[in-house]
Amino acid sequence: MKLRRVKAIAAKEVLQIWRDPRSLMIALLLPFTQMFLFGYGVNLDLKHIPTCTFDREGSQQSQDLFKRFQASNYFAITRNVDSYGALVAAIDRADCKIAVVVPPDFSERLNDVGTTSVQAILDATDDNTANIAIGYATAVVQGYSSDVQLAWLDRQGETLQQVQPLVVQSRVWFNEDLESRNFIIPGLVAVIMALVGAQLTSLTIAREWERGTMELLISTPVRKSEVMVGKLAPYLVLGWIDAAFCLAMAGLWFGVPFRGTLLTLFVTTTLFLAVVLSIGYLLSVLIPNQAGASQVALLVTMIPTVLLSGYVFPIDQMPWFIQQITYLIYSRYYVTIIKAVFLKGSGIPELALPILFLTIYATAVVVLALRAFRKRLD
Amino acid sequence: MNADQAAEAQVVAENLVKRFGSFVAVDNVSFRIARGEIMGFLGPNGAGKSTIIRVLCGLLRPSAGRAIVAGIDVTRDPEGVRERIGYMSQKFSLYRDLTVEENLKFFGGIYRVPRAELRERMRFAIDMAGLAGREHAIVATLAGGWQQRLALGCAVLHRPPILFLDEPTSGVEPASRRRFWELIHTLAADGVSILVSTHYMDEAEYCDRAALINQGRLIALDSPAALRRTALGGELLLVECDALGPALDALTQAPGVIDCSVFGSALHVLVADAEQGRRELPAFLASRGLSASRVERIAPSLEDVFVQLIAADTTKRREAA
Amino acid sequence: MLARIIPIVVKELIELWRDKWARFRLIVPTILQMLLFGYAATYEVYHVSTAVLDLDHSQESRELIARFTSSDRLHIVKIARSQADIDDAIDRSDAAVALVVHPGFAELLRKGREAPLQVIVDGTNSNTALIALGYVNTIATGFAQDYATDLMERTQGVKGMRQVQVTLEQRPWFNPDLNGRWFFVPGLIGTLTLVIIVNLTAFAIVREREVGTLEQIMVSPIRPAEFILGKTVPFFLVGLGEVALIVAVGVLWFQVPFAGNPLVLLFGTTLYLLSTLALGLLISTLCTTQQQAFSTNFFVLNPFFILSGFSFPISSMPDVLQWLTRINPLRYYLVVIRGTFLKGVGLDVLWPDLTALGVIAAVLMTMSILRFRKTLE
Repeated sequence: MKLRRVKAIAAKEVLQIWRDPRSLMIALLLPFTQMFLFGYGVNLDLKHIPTCTFDREGSQQSQDLFKRFQASNYFAITRNVDSYGALVAAIDRADCKIAVVVPPDFSERLNDVGTTSVQAILDATDDNTANIAIGYATAVVQGYSSDVQLAWLDRQGETLQQVQPLVVQSRVWFNEDLESRNFIIPGLVAVIMALVGAQLTSLTIAREWERGTMELLISTPVRKSEVMVGKLAPYLVLGWIDAAFCLAMAGLWFGVPFRGTLLTLFVTTTLFLAVVLSIGYLLSVLIPNQAGASQVALLVTMIPTVLLSGYVFPIDQMPWFIQQITYLIYSRYYVTIIKAVFLKGSGIPELALPILFLTIYATAVVVLALRAFRKRLD
Repeated sequence: MNADQAAEAQVVAENLVKRFGSFVAVDNVSFRIARGEIMGFLGPNGAGKSTIIRVLCGLLRPSAGRAIVAGIDVTRDPEGVRERIGYMSQKFSLYRDLTVEENLKFFGGIYRVPRAELRERMRFAIDMAGLAGREHAIVATLAGGWQQRLALGCAVLHRPPILFLDEPTSGVEPASRRRFWELIHTLAADGVSILVSTHYMDEAEYCDRAALINQGRLIALDSPAALRRTALGGELLLVECDALGPALDALTQAPGVIDCSVFGSALHVLVADAEQGRRELPAFLASRGLSASRVERIAPSLEDVFVQLIAADTTKRREAA
Repeated sequence: MLARIIPIVVKELIELWRDKWARFRLIVPTILQMLLFGYAATYEVYHVSTAVLDLDHSQESRELIARFTSSDRLHIVKIARSQADIDDAIDRSDAAVALVVHPGFAELLRKGREAPLQVIVDGTNSNTALIALGYVNTIATGFAQDYATDLMERTQGVKGMRQVQVTLEQRPWFNPDLNGRWFFVPGLIGTLTLVIIVNLTAFAIVREREVGTLEQIMVSPIRPAEFILGKTVPFFLVGLGEVALIVAVGVLWFQVPFAGNPLVLLFGTTLYLLSTLALGLLISTLCTTQQQAFSTNFFVLNPFFILSGFSFPISSMPDVLQWLTRINPLRYYLVVIRGTFLKGVGLDVLWPDLTALGVIAAVLMTMSILRFRKTLE
């Protein structure tokens, strides 16, 4: 490999990037805007779930129960209905996601038999929201239930026994506020870098074929490795800039706690960029037309990264078969690394395994790309 | 070519064959090009001219036969060959979004022209192309002729001993074409071997030797003068008359006529004996109710030669098939 | 005019069909993505890896732990011997949850005092952490209730001692098993189609511009309207095909129920496709090279996905972003899709969303056609 030729290729690539300001603008602005968008739009914290109430008794007790729902941050009572039909309409129209129904014999049964129940009707189209809503609703009702029991025991003149002998003391590690943001945003950087990387390099070879300059280039003494290094170098610099933007935004703007070191971040990010850019390059070599290359690039980088990297959908909850597939998804390793560096403060030694995987990945892709690129027309 | 010249042959093709699937694009082609020689490749579109050039550059692998460029076997060491050649592809392939100077610098870097020398070579290329003062023009803004000359300049920065130019003058206006050929002659005078392909038959006159390619086969290879003299296999008469169509049909069957074709607004008739033809043809035409205003002997142009050769070759193949 | 358009449309369709690679790209990736989304995209927590540390070694502590080990939601991965073991398990992400019973637990219980169960949760994924905590709480509460009842009966020795309790009955509608796939898969109709149609349309036109054939078309007698229709009608048909494909896979493979009226879905689909075509057209007017088309598509499409309610609930977004979702055709289309698939509702409920779709489609089409005509001049 001769440095002179590498420099010539890199210089030309830089000039071409510079002469297409639109693409350059997008390459720089894209991560910034995506961080913004994803950072605020991607949110699994459920608050103010639209709720409607159907009080079929209208007693003091039922009102007490509803007040508790009202007081909870998780529920926002948007409507009080007075008929079953109205309830159905409200759910159909998505005016509420959960409807709490108190039966007409609520307090009667409570005084009489001692046990009664309250219905929670859920719009389960979004099963996740429904699941979490059930959890919160159960907690509210349980709280009410134990207070009722305490009051009853009190009226019986019983010595105040512990109604709840068992108390759960929970501590949350690493993401103490259980902010979904803190775990989504670090992974987001991985997603954005994977997408941006693919976008930067996946058209670079195809473009030259379509414009006709490739034939001349391969008739010169330039080597395949020189073409690859020369072409990728400028994009690595762009990638660093983009990564720096995103990571800075994650820590400084979104306030995700950063407990690691910048060195670890730099080393791992560079490694990841190498993988991402090489994959784009490989695609560009394999698919010599731009329209095709771009579609495949989106497919191969975006979907696996969003779905299978563990950035928002936890890998350990997926079917076993799919879990095995995720070992092939390169962004999975970077997601793990980033989350660990930010939230757990892990350093290079702790991250040895994912770093190793990324290195193997990078090597494999580079070798494939070099082999696939032919300096011939047939 | 005598033995000494042959020994200096810079490009040697021996029984070259190139197949794409079942299609034979190059069929058993052999030739040699000496130092400082300009060889022209002529032939209709799709004849295989570009394919042969690409094989010589190492861009295509020959299906059979050998290609030796600057003493190196192309199949064994394509990269070695690439150091010693300059190539202009059929499609314009410089970087349109870069400037004149940037393109030159790029190729200078790719060919690793020593920096001290590069300035001088770039100057040479710019002057040769006539682009002095326009070094910072974006290539896309240049007209066709300028672009072609620039492409030639980029190809010679590293002083290659051999140049392969694939239809460098296509789509360029006549004045620019002539200028281009002057440049080629200057380079050849310096000892560069140049292989130029073109579909303009008249450009064959500019070459030291011309090769005629038809459907992958080399059907003629000689200096223009020799081709004009001997290749035709007959003598040529110019016949001007009013009813070209009927006259063509009639003359094809006339005695002593080998072949007949339309050239512009007249007929070129190939006869065994020109004097005899001049005497007898007017009468022959009159007997068919046609009159000729002029019947004259003319010296065959290369175009005549080529058209005739190609027609003959095509007929021969059809009969063989 | 119609006579001239039909041959153009037919030609585009034939070219698309003949291009084997294009055929492949339209069918295989769609199916692949559906399978991936269907199986990988899930917020459900099927099993929580748990570590357990019992330092009390009493009857009561063992009973408590037994409740956890017998739960099918909690997956005991480690029986720890010391606090260090627990810390290690969480640190190394071997366990997402750790339960610790300290010495003296049983004594506190017998004395009728509050006995603590310590739970450590790895909050890295807050969603699963919350759900996991919910499971732990449920099991703990069950133990507590039973223990209290038992204790009262034994100490008071009274039969028929009532226990006062209010319980919650849950009734999930439309998706009784809370099947995650039923949520995601229908949504894919909107997202996958958006990507494919916008890409196809934008690239097809920009490619002609980059290669130079667009100029030739401009000087031909073809009118702008004819050109636009000629390009968009084939892709509209392709879009319908894609929707049909996704619906087929969703219903046949994933067994997502379809409870509503197919005509309503078709109507909504038509309006939606018009919006996507217009979007592709609009993007094509902004780009001169395919590279730009690629980046621009990306830039524009991502916000559409995020701000639509496809996988992240709109109600959780800040107000500003919630407002933005109102101009996103995907948002309304998702309501229509989920309404017709799972809820089985019809025009009477969906008319506001369909109207919104119609308005957006009309606005986008007008904007894009006007802009496009300008660029052709």
